[in-house]
Amino acid sequence: MLETLAQAVINGLLIGGIYALVSIGVTLIFGVVKIVNFAQGEFVMIGMYISFYLATQFGIDPIASLVVSMPVLFIVGVLIQHFLIRRVLGPNDMPQIFLTFALSLLLLNLALMLFTANYRTVHTSYSDEAFHLAGLYIPVAKLIAFVVAMGLSGALWVFLHTTDLGKAMRAAAQNRDVATLMGINPNRVFCVALGVALALAGAAGSLLMPFYSAYPFVGQVFVLMAFVAVVLGTLGNVMGALIASLMMGVAESLGIQFVGADSGLIVVFAMLLLTLAFKPNGLGGGRVR
Amino acid sequence: MAGINKWKLMSLAALAAVVLVLPQVVKSSFAIDIFIRILLFSFIGVAWNLMGGYAKQLSLGHAAYFGLGAYTSTIMQVDFGISPWIGMVAGGIVAMLASLPIGWLCFRLRGPYFTIATIATAQALMLIFLKFRDFAWGAEGTTIPNLGSSPLMMQFEAKASYYYVVLGLLVLGLAITLRIERSWMGYYLVAIGEDEDAAEAIGVNAPRIKRDIYMISAFLTALAGTFYVQYIYFIDPATAFSFNISIEAALVSIVGGIGTLWGPVIGTVLLETTSALLQSWLGSSTGGVQLTVYALILMAVILWRPTGLIGIVTDAYQRHVNRKPARA
Repeated sequence: MLETLAQAVINGLLIGGIYALVSIGVTLIFGVVKIVNFAQGEFVMIGMYISFYLATQFGIDPIASLVVSMPVLFIVGVLIQHFLIRRVLGPNDMPQIFLTFALSLLLLNLALMLFTANYRTVHTSYSDEAFHLAGLYIPVAKLIAFVVAMGLSGALWVFLHTTDLGKAMRAAAQNRDVATLMGINPNRVFCVALGVALALAGAAGSLLMPFYSAYPFVGQVFVLMAFVAVVLGTLGNVMGALIASLMMGVAESLGIQFVGADSGLIVVFAMLLLTLAFKPNGLGGGRVR
Repeated sequence: MAGINKWKLMSLAALAAVVLVLPQVVKSSFAIDIFIRILLFSFIGVAWNLMGGYAKQLSLGHAAYFGLGAYTSTIMQVDFGISPWIGMVAGGIVAMLASLPIGWLCFRLRGPYFTIATIATAQALMLIFLKFRDFAWGAEGTTIPNLGSSPLMMQFEAKASYYYVVLGLLVLGLAITLRIERSWMGYYLVAIGEDEDAAEAIGVNAPRIKRDIYMISAFLTALAGTFYVQYIYFIDPATAFSFNISIEAALVSIVGGIGTLWGPVIGTVLLETTSALLQSWLGSSTGGVQLTVYALILMAVILWRPTGLIGIVTDAYQRHVNRKPARA
């Protein structure tokens, strides 16, 4: 019993690391640019397809293809901010919500047309490997994904707290007008925020590829999880999103273990509804919006 | 004043005449099917627009009420033999009651996170109906017994009859919108949509107004759900709570003109016509094409005409009116 419980927690933490990459992106964009990127999941999907094609066409290891998927999606993020999102920033919610929503709809259906609805997998030498530790089973691919995800999150934290650009992003997140008065160029900061967030989503896609199938709707799974984690972790709070994502992963895994194989989504929705009912400002407190 | 009224009356009368005789003139069942879709989604858009357009509470979870309406009337009909006409109203009431707890949860968030919460509630309802198979047939759904021609059970031989039923629903929706638009509630809704904090500061009871309009919007959306399953003779959770219903409800309003009486109708005519043309050009193998085109239209409208296509019509109308002397 205890072993089953420990195994479920470990499974949850490992996948929670991937959720964290997606949630951190969502919360970073929300914190800095003050919009919700409904298309974040689709960039995970794009990251997966990039890794899939690099692996099948050129034999590049999916995890190593991070070095391609991250820069590509960084540039995509900068372009999206500069040419699309910049044009709808303002007091009105509607264009912001529905622009990124339209982007999500567009990318999803383009993927459906280009790649068909088939599931694509990449088999690596370590896909079936696992460590056995005190009766626990730790798949190598998921462990690598978790370690790299935590490494990237840590790198982001260092970036936000030690570099000038990172500090400028945090300043813009706290108070855009004052930050602008202090000489921070908001559009440049927003471009970097979008770029970094999309690069993290791309990284999540590449890290998933050795043990998860790519298909056009795959992003929806992750973005839903990310939205809940971002509310739970207090909107705009990077550390909160990280911790909440790991919690969500564990909760989902416990649900699958003890309630039923297809109860993952139910657990997610239950957590969202409970959060809204009792802690609408997230576990860390703070103000909504 | 008289001039405007005359013009408005004349164009309305012309529109009414065309809409009324359309199914008598056009006999192609493919065409009537498209007309019915246009009327149905206009109606859903009108229902969404009351809350999403006037009060700017941008829900992407209206499939919840569509599905509740559909399931209520179907359960009443299949299990108890009660007419869908009664089931339709019952479904509306169920949806209204459901909107209370759902609204209580979702209105705790504002802006984009309100939108996400509404998505989650509709998906959660779909999961509930997928899980409880003893209660509502689970994932397989059920077919609605075909009684042939039975108007009392909302079943007709001629497609044209369905056309007039859904036309009636749309007229009801437009009438309610017009009534609300011209009442105090309409002004409160617009005030909340413009700036909720400011509206509250001048004494608008925003939570109550939002709750009330959500109930009305949910009621109307549920009527559409009942009509739809009666029309296609089939129900399952994936159809009744389809995310596409939620998307289309919002999309037609935004493309047509958010927070305007005719916006959802104009948006639906454009989007559904596009979709029908795509279907006839590409055949049934349109996987992804239709929504790709919808997404592009939506992006174009948001970037270049965020007030919606109705602006083009009203601008032309204003120019026309301004040319006339003495507007009174």
